[in-house]
Amino acid sequence: MASFLATYDFLLVSMVLAAVLALTLYLPLMAGQLSVASPGFYALGGYIAAIMSTRIFPPGPGLYPVSLVLLEMVVAAVLSGALGLAVGVPALRLRGIFLALATIAFVQILGVVALNLQITGGAIGIFGIPQPFANPIQYMWLAVPLLLVSMLFVARLERTRTGRALIALREDELAAAAMGVNPTYHKVLAFTTSAVLAGAVGAVSAHFINTWNSRQGTFDTSVNLMAFVLVGGSRTFVGPVVGGLVLTALPEALRGIAGVGLLPGWLAEFLRDGRLIIFGVLIAVGTVFFPHGLITPGLLRRLGRWRARAR
Amino acid sequence: MNRTFLLQQVLNGLAIGSVYAIFALGYTLIFSVLRIINFTHGAIFTIGAYATYALTGSQFGINGLLAGATLPFALPFVLALLGGSVVAAVSGVIVERLAFRPLRARGADPLLTLVSSLGVAVALVNITQYLFGAEPYSYPDPLQGLPTAMNFGTAAAPVLVRTVQVVIFGVSMVMLVLLTYLMNATRTGKALRAVAEDMTTSSLLGIDTDRLVLLTFVISGFLGGVTGTLIGLSVGVAGPYFGIAFGLKGLAVIVLGGLGDVPGAVVGGLVIGLAEAFVPAQYIAYREAVPFALLFVVLLVRPQGLLGRAQVQKV
Amino acid sequence: MSLRVGVSVSMIAIAVLCCAMIGLAADPPIPIGVSVAQTGPVALAGQEQVLGAQIAEDYFNKHGGVNGRPIKLIFQDGGSDEPTAINAFQNLINVAKVVGIMGPSLSQQAFAADPFAVRAKVPVIGPSNTAKGIAQIGEFVSRVSAPVAIVAPNAVKAAMEINRDLKKVAVLYAQNDAFNKSETETFQQAVKDLKLDLATVQTFQTTDTDFTAQITNVLNVKPDLVIISGLQVDGANLIKQLRDLGYKGLIVGGNGVNTAAIFPICKAKCDGILIAQAYSPAYKSKINDEFKSVYKDKQKKDPPQFSAQAFAGIQVFVEALRALDKKSPIAKMDLAALRVELNKQLISGTYDTPLGEISFTTGPGMGGEIVQKQSYVAQIKMDPDGTKGTFVFVK
Repeated sequence: MASFLATYDFLLVSMVLAAVLALTLYLPLMAGQLSVASPGFYALGGYIAAIMSTRIFPPGPGLYPVSLVLLEMVVAAVLSGALGLAVGVPALRLRGIFLALATIAFVQILGVVALNLQITGGAIGIFGIPQPFANPIQYMWLAVPLLLVSMLFVARLERTRTGRALIALREDELAAAAMGVNPTYHKVLAFTTSAVLAGAVGAVSAHFINTWNSRQGTFDTSVNLMAFVLVGGSRTFVGPVVGGLVLTALPEALRGIAGVGLLPGWLAEFLRDGRLIIFGVLIAVGTVFFPHGLITPGLLRRLGRWRARAR
Repeated sequence: MNRTFLLQQVLNGLAIGSVYAIFALGYTLIFSVLRIINFTHGAIFTIGAYATYALTGSQFGINGLLAGATLPFALPFVLALLGGSVVAAVSGVIVERLAFRPLRARGADPLLTLVSSLGVAVALVNITQYLFGAEPYSYPDPLQGLPTAMNFGTAAAPVLVRTVQVVIFGVSMVMLVLLTYLMNATRTGKALRAVAEDMTTSSLLGIDTDRLVLLTFVISGFLGGVTGTLIGLSVGVAGPYFGIAFGLKGLAVIVLGGLGDVPGAVVGGLVIGLAEAFVPAQYIAYREAVPFALLFVVLLVRPQGLLGRAQVQKV
Repeated sequence: MSLRVGVSVSMIAIAVLCCAMIGLAADPPIPIGVSVAQTGPVALAGQEQVLGAQIAEDYFNKHGGVNGRPIKLIFQDGGSDEPTAINAFQNLINVAKVVGIMGPSLSQQAFAADPFAVRAKVPVIGPSNTAKGIAQIGEFVSRVSAPVAIVAPNAVKAAMEINRDLKKVAVLYAQNDAFNKSETETFQQAVKDLKLDLATVQTFQTTDTDFTAQITNVLNVKPDLVIISGLQVDGANLIKQLRDLGYKGLIVGGNGVNTAAIFPICKAKCDGILIAQAYSPAYKSKINDEFKSVYKDKQKKDPPQFSAQAFAGIQVFVEALRALDKKSPIAKMDLAALRVELNKQLISGTYDTPLGEISFTTGPGMGGEIVQKQSYVAQIKMDPDGTKGTFVFVK
């Protein structure tokens, strides 16, 4: 067990953080908006934490206080929310593919800016970010509550009036607007909440991977998030969480299987080096056979009934 | 800013712009008929470039499953170009059959197709790397006899443009003319436009929509292959990822020109090329942001692009 | 019938068991981890590193391994992003239980993954990490990739000797790559120190293929020298396009273009370029000659810098293991102690590698920063038909 944790501690925490990031894509999607802007806020949050912990707070001996990490998360969340509001209000008048493209543009622009500012360290980025924990697995103290809080928030949201308004917008924006649901207000709300969450995850991640640079939070991250939500399940909040957990583990699971030594050489090598091929095929196949993802409300209902019957 | 410098910037802009334009043509054609963004275009483009390389009888490097492989024959460049583009077209069709058709049959959201195309693109690029390795390749140069650059200025104040870029500009113009003719003056073109307007009604009216979608992918794939090879000629085939960078910028191009508008793709490409060329020297580090900043602004101000028609929301 | 089957199966099982036990009885090979970019956009560099490492494995095993015991390289793809590198390191440290790791490919990945090795007290040798601050990550981080600080001014001086009237310099660099960003700072400082006029600094991306805008800005200031910090493909294209568009002056290239892989792209136009090298195929030494000949057999061209640095990385591990074993038999050490002792040993040694003679300096809280005795400036000489070229020593 100790050896398992020692090998997979980083992966386990990555899985949880990825699940939270997946929820940041799910939130606007509840309102029918495909926004891939989360990686931009994730990058911003990471830079804020990196800059604060390396330049603003003086380095001390021993571990970096967790309270400061929480402070960084709050600052990152607030600033991301502010940027989300500033970008969201004009951008969310767009629909469908146009919004997706606008958010792609947003992430690209942020990436170029990050490469060029002195304070972000350019291509090298910021390194030597202090650690609040002696052991990577202890990041679970930050990651798991973050995930649970976001899951709780989204689950409750689906039941409130605001949540129902979002779903109404997803089903038919025109009808919802005609019924008195303010589309822009609700869309911006979803977008900004998602930005806040992404910023907080970014702040934790900067400490987690010891360094932060313009290669974190790019279009590639968007592709991964889309995979989490669309393969995991786009109609219930459980879907993105499961998608995030499973798809983050998948490439490393393939690496592990390849290493077991029972497989013929060429297959092991393919599993190891062809991880990205498998990932891409999985996304393509997933969209064809599971258009609402693997975890659908129907599946959850059936599981609920099965559990009830089993009692 | 003196006249020579200005002229140089304009020609640079047109040169790089025509590269974007020729990429965007295939991209926008698929959008115009199917209303989907086909991210696999960048991968098809790469496949075309690699296929042409193989057909010129050249050898693949030392990495990858097919290390050291070489075809038993060698074609002259232009034939290899056509052959490679055919391979690209076929790949496009295979992708369509396997990945997009099932989604279309179900009436799936275009966003789902966008994501699926991303997955396919990732898979294709990595398969290419798995087979052929990551090294750059160069074509045997068909333009060897010609001077490397053409002078559009005077001997005293030269304004040089690389010959291969002039060729690319020429090809993109020819492609534009051919495609516009196809779309507007032929029966097939009319059928394509009908399918673009409304697929269900067109099929009810007896148009073989399936065959036309196939044709769209064939043309788009062929264009992708030509583009990949020409760009490979200009800058070498820089490894399996060399098409991906165009994929994102291509989005900016087709939106700027008007999603689905064929001349729009060319106009969009040239405008973005010119915008990039005119970035002042001290801000060159921000050049990469220019197409995306333009994309963002256009989306906010005029989402239908320069040449598109305003989208009317149908109830 | 079933008795016959039963007896045959038992005999086979016993035979297999015996062979397995015989296999176990001999000392297992020493595992050394290699985590470089085998997939993703950085794979071009990673491939070369894999090759260099594999050549080293064969070479040292042929030459007796570690005092009779062979080494075994365990490859785990570090990918082109930070989390993959971290996961690869974790796998090598905890599953493959290697004595040391060579990798990762990028400096940014090193900043992310090396701290995990430092925490686990596993020595890491960076074969291609040149950013400032790598060895300072921790006591267990060393590198064999020399920061360009020494070589860069030499290359510029060599250019000044070729053109005595050299005044104006234009610098171009890949802004999205840590390797090149560090390198260009050194070049720009060298230009200022040598009292030359830094007329313009242009940036590009490693993924760029068209440089007409930057070249126009460069030609506009009419430089005598152009300094390029880029990687193979972008650097080679930049050179080709510079020449296509009429630039006739001198060009100095950094470490990133120090590879014969640029020849197919710029062909005859590569001729005359001065390269600041951390490795030169022309360097005469027994080990470099042997490394070169093995590489040339496989690839039909001179070894690139990345492969040579990877070879040197493995060499450092092997020779340190040998020296350590002589002091106190490593077969008797447990893994944790072996890793710590290996780290101490490798930092204190000197090595005659294809890169030249190298050793390490260290300090509090840091691992081994390379001290490379030889530094090279070479000029590329292409055959008239542009297919073959060599790096010819200048100094």
